[in-house]
Amino acid sequence: MKALAALAAAAFTVMACYGLGALLAARLGARLRRDEKFPLAFVLGAAVLHLAIFAVMALQIAYKPVLIAMLSGCVAAALATGDWRLPVAEDAERDRPLPGAIRYLFGIIFGIVAAAFTVLYLFNAWAPEISPDGSSYHLGLVSRYLRAHGFERVTTNMLLTFSEGVEMLYVPAFAIGRHSAAALVHFAFLIALALAVLAYGKRIGKPQAGAAAALLVYLSPIVGIDGTAAYTDVATAAIMFSVFYWIQLWDENRDSRLLIAAGLLAGYCYAAKYTAFVMLVYAVGFVAWRTRKWRPAVLLVGWSLTMAVPWIAKDWIYVRNPVAPFANQWFPNPYLYVLIEKLWTARMRTYGLTNLWTLPLEVTIRGEATQGLLGPVFLAAPLALLALWSREGRKLLIPCALVLITYFGNVGTRFLIPCLPFLSLAMLIALEGIAPALALLIVFHAVTSWPTVLMRYTHAWSLSGIPYKAALRIIPEEEYLGAHPEYQWARMVERNVPPGKLVFTLSGLPDAYTTREVLISYWGGLNNDVGDALNMGWIKAWQPARLSSFILPDSKYRRLRVVQTGTATIPDEQWNIHEMRLYHGGSELPRRPEWRLQASPNPWGVQRAFDNSEATRWRSWETLRPGMWIAIDLGRDEAVDRVQLELSGDEWDAKMRLETTDAQGRWVALDVPTEERTVRYSGSLRRAATYEAHLRGVDYFLIKDDDFGASDYAEWSGDWGWTRLEHAHGASLYKVNPQQLSPPGVNP
Amino acid sequence: MCGLLCGCGNLPEPYPPPAQRPFFEAPAEAGRILNMSDADAEPHFVQDIDTALQGNTWRWTGKRPTIHLHPNTNQKLLYSIDFAIAGSTFQQTGPVTLSFFVNDHLLDRVRYAAPDRRRFQKPVPAEWLEPGENVTLAAEIDKVWTPPQPGGKPLGFILVALGLEQQDAEQK
Repeated sequence: MKALAALAAAAFTVMACYGLGALLAARLGARLRRDEKFPLAFVLGAAVLHLAIFAVMALQIAYKPVLIAMLSGCVAAALATGDWRLPVAEDAERDRPLPGAIRYLFGIIFGIVAAAFTVLYLFNAWAPEISPDGSSYHLGLVSRYLRAHGFERVTTNMLLTFSEGVEMLYVPAFAIGRHSAAALVHFAFLIALALAVLAYGKRIGKPQAGAAAALLVYLSPIVGIDGTAAYTDVATAAIMFSVFYWIQLWDENRDSRLLIAAGLLAGYCYAAKYTAFVMLVYAVGFVAWRTRKWRPAVLLVGWSLTMAVPWIAKDWIYVRNPVAPFANQWFPNPYLYVLIEKLWTARMRTYGLTNLWTLPLEVTIRGEATQGLLGPVFLAAPLALLALWSREGRKLLIPCALVLITYFGNVGTRFLIPCLPFLSLAMLIALEGIAPALALLIVFHAVTSWPTVLMRYTHAWSLSGIPYKAALRIIPEEEYLGAHPEYQWARMVERNVPPGKLVFTLSGLPDAYTTREVLISYWGGLNNDVGDALNMGWIKAWQPARLSSFILPDSKYRRLRVVQTGTATIPDEQWNIHEMRLYHGGSELPRRPEWRLQASPNPWGVQRAFDNSEATRWRSWETLRPGMWIAIDLGRDEAVDRVQLELSGDEWDAKMRLETTDAQGRWVALDVPTEERTVRYSGSLRRAATYEAHLRGVDYFLIKDDDFGASDYAEWSGDWGWTRLEHAHGASLYKVNPQQLSPPGVNP
Repeated sequence: MCGLLCGCGNLPEPYPPPAQRPFFEAPAEAGRILNMSDADAEPHFVQDIDTALQGNTWRWTGKRPTIHLHPNTNQKLLYSIDFAIAGSTFQQTGPVTLSFFVNDHLLDRVRYAAPDRRRFQKPVPAEWLEPGENVTLAAEIDKVWTPPQPGGKPLGFILVALGLEQQDAEQK
């Protein structure tokens, strides 16, 4: 029953997309050929349907009946108007079929290969979904929104600030057919992409090259595993290729109505993945170049904004950054720290590879560092340069190059998928008419991409077989998923954590299989703060290590500011202040409510330097550099003779000067002596760290056995103030004992 | 420009000081050498240790500097003191004798005939301590330096560290 529900839900969603796309294409006067109508209408309809679902989510009316009614309406309207029907097949003028026998053989080989991989893909997509990103954030967010019947403001997971254009289509599929329905919808995009490449080949008079290029894309191992999971990369590639396709359709007859479709799809590119927005640049550039007019380009941009602006607005409203999780330096906010973004994007640019010249081999044959491979056949990618000699080839290479530029922002293999349609066509159009070469290439690609062969030369992320028993639920879903430890962790959380409680983890779990909110240590400002407190609990180097004091002449001050003058020697070195204390006559000045505290950067964290906790610290969350500051306005003139900062052991380059304001309110440096001494904290930093987590609503911790610090949490759980609720499948779930946090211990 | 302005608008108003956090006591340690420079040193002082830290490492004592600690065991503990007889005080006092105490039990008595930096260590009988209970450690000097001017503070010796160390403790 579950298997049928998943299939039906996916089919229903796909039909709605197609129906809506067919309706719109007809209204725009698009004359689509039989072979191109399904892929182009489906993707166009997906764009429009995604916007309708966005509206439903924004209105908080995402209930199953509403979603079903919406899908039904799309299908019914297309049927009623007759737009659903495929046009009658016509012999394309530029189709140049091969001689009978060769064509027959060509068809047989390509047909067998395509059918075999379709079976492989269908059962993988249909099987219970447990892909890393699919079962965590892509479907985690869908599941979460459905529980809330609409969007929720989530500030603790920066992945949820990406645009979610493809995930919007997973919403109705998931609501009806659960997790694998979403993966099947993504698989539909894979089919659409292959069909679009095939159709484009026919349209430009290169049917054999088109067929072979479609298979190059379709059989690629990374495309196979990504396109059969609830990811979004293949869908994004399909949307990007559709922009190109509609622009080419427009170029044939210059009907400006077709630019509406292209504009909507270019905007949908942004909704699917930020970097895909490069297709708007391509479209605008192409149209402007061809027409030498600005009006068509404005039309394109205008329609694209209807798709992109809702996502920009969502991020602006929810996390004060319209392009979150990027550009936090320009749109500072307390939810996403600049340094985390910087370190994360730096990591994405290399995936740990020290030499990017190894990328061609890595993404084609090895695939272990960049998490997947295109297949060895793509070592022949330089063949695409032959396309420079033909007009059609140059048309393909331009978007290919544009898309390739964005790849270097994230060198994971799957981020090359959007290039593949263009690249594959460009590689093969020069071989049109050399059917044996095309057939050999496809057979080679098929063999080297088949799971049993793949596992002989790589351990990269790829499909491993045909899980037909799991797909048909002959093996019950619970049993199939239960073999995956990560699923068991999610269920452990579900069993032990009460609804509404937060769970903190260091490395994530499949959120789509728990209804509890999971905070991953690095995906949000709050998470970073809790993670930092926990690390300080046990890592000596991160604990207060140094007292740095400014000795002032006995005088009165209203404002005092400590300014950083040092420069970091490594990018992740920050300025950290556990406590900033003012003294007079050997006694600390009580922190009066009238005091006003400020810092730059990270003004939101300034209170952590004034909370009397050694397990918290104000952190710059930017690389330590001159000009950062932390300031106190005492509200009135007060006698101060010492300003004391407690610094961490992990800020080797921090150097500071003290400033106060003059009569005009300008900051002026105080040339005063300084004192340095080492410190050691006598209290329990572990317990203090737990207190901080508890204050932020985090009372549960899922720690995997190989997590950073796992042995300390296990060995010192009493000192942390935690009780271990369960240990299974390589992970422990701990709960905070509130009675150990209150009443507090003796204050020395 | 609009976006950038919005970005600037994100910055918050200055904050008041937050609620002050409680102190959480650490679990009892097997042993602890209390360095005079430790940030938490002063709460451990019982008597005769100056509040002013000198040279970031040491403090003047009076006649019988005393501290308290909270060991969680009474097994294999070593009384350990790191100190110095100052040349300036020695000129007046001459050779001095130091008596070392654990919970007022005399552990040993040693005569020092020259000013210098010194270290004294000796095992503590287990029956003098109760695991998990406070213990006092002291070192008494027989002659203190008396300042020439009236009302000045008498000085004993220079104390760098005093505490209990567990023998054969594993290094973490």
